[in-house]
Amino acid sequence: MSIEEQYRTRAKELLSGGAVKMVIGYGKGSNASRRRPIFISSADDVERLVLDDACITNLSGYLVSEGLLSDEKRVAVFLRPEGIRAINILAAESQLDADQIVIFGFDVAGNEVKALKGIHVEEFSDVITSIKESAPEAAEEELFEKIEKMSPQERFSFWQEEFSKCIKCYACRQACPMCYCRRCIVDSNQPQWVNTSSHTLGNFEWNIVRAFHLSGRCVECGNCDRACPVNIPLRLINHRMAEEVLGAFDHFAGTSKTQEPVLASFKKDDSETFIL
Amino acid sequence: MAKIGVFICHCGENIGAKVDCTKLAAAMGEHPGVAVSVEYKYFCSDPGQESVKRAIRENNLTGVVVAACSPRMHEATFRKACAEAGLNPYLCEIANIREQCSWVHTDNDQATEKAMDITRSMVEKVKRNNKLQPIEVPVTRRALVIGGGIAGIQAALDIANAGQDVVLVEREPSLGGHMAQLSETFPTLDCSQCIMTPRMVEAAQHPKIRLLTYAEIESVDGYIGNFSVRVRMKSRYVDIDKCTGCGDCITKCPAKKISSEFDCGLGKRTAIYTPFAQSVPNIPVIDKANCIYFKNGKCKICAKTCQCDAINFDMQDAFEDIEVGAIVVATGFQVQNNTMYGEYGYGKYPDVINGLQFERLASASGPTAGKILRPSDGVEPQTVVFIQCAGSRDPSKGVRYCSKICCMYTAKHAMLYAHKVHGGKAHIFYMDIRAAGKGYDEFSRRAIEEDEAAYLRGRVSKVWQENGKLMVRGVDTLLGRPVEIAADMVVLATAMIAQPDAKEFAKTIGIGYDEYGFYNEAHLKLRPVESSTAGVFLAGACQSPKDIPDSVAQASATASKVLALFSKDMLEREPVVATNNEATCAGCWGCVLACPYNAIEQKDIVDRSGRVIKRVASVNPGLCQGCGTCVTFCRSNSLDLAGFTERQIFAEVMGL
Repeated sequence: MSIEEQYRTRAKELLSGGAVKMVIGYGKGSNASRRRPIFISSADDVERLVLDDACITNLSGYLVSEGLLSDEKRVAVFLRPEGIRAINILAAESQLDADQIVIFGFDVAGNEVKALKGIHVEEFSDVITSIKESAPEAAEEELFEKIEKMSPQERFSFWQEEFSKCIKCYACRQACPMCYCRRCIVDSNQPQWVNTSSHTLGNFEWNIVRAFHLSGRCVECGNCDRACPVNIPLRLINHRMAEEVLGAFDHFAGTSKTQEPVLASFKKDDSETFIL
Repeated sequence: MAKIGVFICHCGENIGAKVDCTKLAAAMGEHPGVAVSVEYKYFCSDPGQESVKRAIRENNLTGVVVAACSPRMHEATFRKACAEAGLNPYLCEIANIREQCSWVHTDNDQATEKAMDITRSMVEKVKRNNKLQPIEVPVTRRALVIGGGIAGIQAALDIANAGQDVVLVEREPSLGGHMAQLSETFPTLDCSQCIMTPRMVEAAQHPKIRLLTYAEIESVDGYIGNFSVRVRMKSRYVDIDKCTGCGDCITKCPAKKISSEFDCGLGKRTAIYTPFAQSVPNIPVIDKANCIYFKNGKCKICAKTCQCDAINFDMQDAFEDIEVGAIVVATGFQVQNNTMYGEYGYGKYPDVINGLQFERLASASGPTAGKILRPSDGVEPQTVVFIQCAGSRDPSKGVRYCSKICCMYTAKHAMLYAHKVHGGKAHIFYMDIRAAGKGYDEFSRRAIEEDEAAYLRGRVSKVWQENGKLMVRGVDTLLGRPVEIAADMVVLATAMIAQPDAKEFAKTIGIGYDEYGFYNEAHLKLRPVESSTAGVFLAGACQSPKDIPDSVAQASATASKVLALFSKDMLEREPVVATNNEATCAGCWGCVLACPYNAIEQKDIVDRSGRVIKRVASVNPGLCQGCGTCVTFCRSNSLDLAGFTERQIFAEVMGL
């Protein structure tokens, strides 16, 4: 039986038995290579679930929709390893109770889909540890290396060029599972720290603030990158920040549901290289 | 409508010589919202302050900017003056045009321009300032003294004798610290134990002192007047309430060959032991690492011997939370490990010992009962070489500072040696003789003139063994020639260094330390016993190398600081505290973790039927210290700091 079939069967069991109230998974999209999120609450609908190598979107962000989990019922969700890490962070930041989440874990190697064993987020810690140890490369390694080699001035003009395309649609924010604030800092106008106009200064302000807010939290699922209508390689910034945090504090985002946020916690053995 | 008064101080020539104050006053007078803009030579003087007060009353000012020195210097002065004129003190701000402008610039025009920017930005801030009221917090009248050496004991006794409660915590099984290990003390040569042990007993029996030995500080939370301290009582495996201190268990313990820490490795102790015979409290502890029962599961001879049933092998570490209002840190020092001086053969030749080991040899309570006998064969040494600065003042060994006590104790060692071994010859290699202190120079002269210690100015390059002697090769720089001495024993005057865990411990209690691990005072000259954290005071050698008189004096000074703090019912605190916008808070609790004062709690927002709608962060204004860490952390900008609100800071930045 294919993994898709197995997971459909499992979804059917969970829904019909009332173990979960909803399954968040992937359905057919507008064309053969696209998948869109679907939300199933009836056992009769499980045939709509699709699982193949085109299932890329990180669905964890839907779990923090206002009121979804407040009845304390369980919700099942299809997740890649990055999505599972996102569950850990959301739990660590008190945005959800990890016990309410039933995970349909999977990963894609080449174009082959393989199932990840486990139901609760704790059961995937080996998978997450192995990702940390394998030190994943940036999505576009070649471009990443090229940017790394640039002088600060060149790098600045590279990003200035990229950010000049930004239209401040905030699609990156909406797509990101970590951007769950009720009021984003850009929507705060007393005072208006971040300029809303899409000119160079405002675009820099927004993208730099976003990079900092995601440092130590981003799992590099690529949702922002794919959502960007003007194709700014946002994932590269996040990857750079993730490397920075890993090097300085040995912090890999989303390893456990009790992981302390790296920029808010202090450990006695933290390096103090920045104190002169 | 804002009516701001701008008062530009010349600070004599400090500001006036670089900044064109007349031009600055004129420019500020033009700025929107400024009602008064004047200059004066010294606004901090009495007539200066009076003119500010008069301007407030005459013009009904809504805010004041004093363009002068750093707010650290005179913010309190001018805020007080404003309050006296009926203006809320938090409507007064200082624009620093001295330290951050006139002192650091050479070009007058540019300095004037910068002073305008700084002052204008402050005017913009003051327009958005709010009236704030000071917060009053109660004081817990109980002091914690950490460390039971002479400094800790002195501080505890002084505070307790003034009628305040003290908790005295010592991590070793007994009070006493290093002073209990010493033989005689300079410059009077009175017996250390004879003056120390009565103090230990007094501290233990004092009705106002609660003594916790074999205990360590786990964590410190809170702030001045209201600290919450968690203490770990390490398991002694001996019930302190049942034990009578008869010592039968110690006599019977079969594990007898454990190197004694108190005797610096020159003597032996048992696995169940008190560090020394005069220990306070006289209750033994079991050294788990060396106990036969804990190693093999068989023995328990101590338990069988004990008639009071005081031995309990199942004892676990216990924790206690203690509320205190002030903390005295008196955690002392350690002696540097001389093995880093491979050329002197410490650790290689048993008869090369350090100063503290010599103290144990010379002490009546020591392993040789006060006889100077060399460790290798127990023979009385006829020639002893003392090497001063073995570690101190030696950047290559990581210690650049002078350990302060070595000159004196080496002179003392030479004297004790002369008194105990008649006809013995003491040679002392030294760099300088530092004998500043009451009776100190006389003392070291006495060692030279009466007790015939031979002082040689120079360093020793090498010590090696030859024909049963320790050969010491050095140089006499006064005669300008190399010397070689065949000695029976060599004593190294080792450096005093910070406790090995001093830096860790500083982080636990939240105080600063220097590159060596000694704790930093708030001001080297004017606030030498206060740490940088309010309510935490420093006594003894944990701050810098000190002798006994200095440690005792500093300990008494901390006691006076603690008592001054306890003399008030309430402490007035700055109302600069954080507040949270519960409507926008996302409840991520990052601020709860980021807050170094544990001032942020989780709060449930409930509807009318009591159902929890959401959880948000809530700042306890009594605990908040106004550091602003939470504000910088908050991603949704829900947290804000009174006195430094986002709107104020934004206006200040945009005013530049």
